[in-house]
Amino acid sequence: MGLRLASIAGAIMLWWLLSLAMPANLLPGPVVATVTLYKDLAQGDVLPHLAITLLRVTGGLALAMLIGVPIGILMGINQRAEKVLDIWVMVGLTVPSLCYAIICFMLIGLNEAATVVAIGLTAAPSIAINLWEGVKTIDFKLVQMAHIFEVGRARILLRVLLPQVMPYVMASLRMGLGIVWKIAVLIELIGRPNGVGFKLFYWYQLADMAQVLAWTLLFTIVMLVIELGILSQIEKRLFAWRPRVGL
Amino acid sequence: MAAQGGTVKADAPAIAIAGLEKHFGTLKVLADLDLVVADKELVCILGPSGSGKSTLLNIIAGLETADAGNVTLGGKRVGYLFQEPRLLPWLTAERNVDFALQGCAVPAARWGELKDHYFALAGLSEFRNYYPHQLSGGMRQRVALVRSLCVEPGILLMDEPFGGLDELTARRLRVDLLRIWRESRKTIVFVTHNAYEACYLADRVVVMAHGRIRDEIAVNIPRPRDYDDPAVFDVNRDVVRRFLAAAELQPEHASALPPVPNPVSHSPGGLP
Repeated sequence: MGLRLASIAGAIMLWWLLSLAMPANLLPGPVVATVTLYKDLAQGDVLPHLAITLLRVTGGLALAMLIGVPIGILMGINQRAEKVLDIWVMVGLTVPSLCYAIICFMLIGLNEAATVVAIGLTAAPSIAINLWEGVKTIDFKLVQMAHIFEVGRARILLRVLLPQVMPYVMASLRMGLGIVWKIAVLIELIGRPNGVGFKLFYWYQLADMAQVLAWTLLFTIVMLVIELGILSQIEKRLFAWRPRVGL
Repeated sequence: MAAQGGTVKADAPAIAIAGLEKHFGTLKVLADLDLVVADKELVCILGPSGSGKSTLLNIIAGLETADAGNVTLGGKRVGYLFQEPRLLPWLTAERNVDFALQGCAVPAARWGELKDHYFALAGLSEFRNYYPHQLSGGMRQRVALVRSLCVEPGILLMDEPFGGLDELTARRLRVDLLRIWRESRKTIVFVTHNAYEACYLADRVVVMAHGRIRDEIAVNIPRPRDYDDPAVFDVNRDVVRRFLAAAELQPEHASALPPVPNPVSHSPGGLP
């Protein structure tokens, strides 16, 4: 934890030093960015945009998991499914998120459904790949053991297979979140009248670097809070049985 | 090789195997294999890697099916101790045992008594709440043994259970196994490639090579046995000599050997 704080402090210092070396309107320092963010927050302009972005992120991530997890598991346990699907997962991974966004907006319309679908489609292949690899590491010797002790199919699924897959589901959730965040703001930039991405684009057009940095800062802090405060706590609870490897 | 008649007791055998065959593709893993194990007998199957020992155990346990032949079990639950402990890493030692007890539908009222008894017997009473990764390799295998015993199998199959452990730990576990066996009196079929281990543990050593039973040696050393008893060394010398002779026989020369007499009539019953 100490090292982590030191690392963050170091990065802020570096930012500050760089800002001193550059014109104030080109690269405002951390203090200016923070004050700008604070003023925006006080005006009440921030939270509605942040809320709508979070909503899109949540919806997109849920959709990506709903598509990616079953495909990944299927590819991991069934060789035929692997052969049929792996090329499409690769294709899905290659197509830029901008293409998904444009296609979805043109097909579905400039609305929330299109936004969530575009986010989900972009992130799903990465999640599928993560689970595909994970399912391959399942120890089927444990299933044999369960057979010896006359354990039924449902319980084998629930108590022998699921716990082995869960770490990979959690890992894909975290990785998926990282991807979905980035896509969400990009899609807001091209097709939504609100959200963090929309605001970033707005301030970009006004060439207001302090605001751009303020919104980036906000975004990063919220992301870290979700990642460290929620997801890694869930992970700690869920996988308390695992040997502790120094983090 | 007439030893078999002497070990089959008046009551029904625990395991009767007749004419067992198993192929993996074109590879013949088990060829016309007959074996009878008496109730409460401790039989060691000694064979080199690839001799079909594990496949034989898997078929007895019902994990694999035979291509031909019969396996008749004396109507008892089969326990299996694998080479690896195969504990669920996310459960404590005790919860791992519960997992098996629940699977085998052992009445919950008996769990406490069974666990107390077998954890104590294995010297693990203090470690019931430890996770597998917090235990040493030998202790993990002990937990697996406790788990096997708690569901009270009539027959316990063991597939090189101490093969992955260091010699000192393995030796301790062999001694413990005999002690536990004397108290719980199960039928045990113990597969190994370690001749001394087989001689120390067994009532009877069955030598397997190329998917057939090639030889049998009755070990008439009184119990309890001392691990370093010179009598075990003597039997070991004899067994190793006969083991080498059997292992060197090429599969194609197998028919030159006289078949092992099969005292059990082929029963029509299949796997239970």
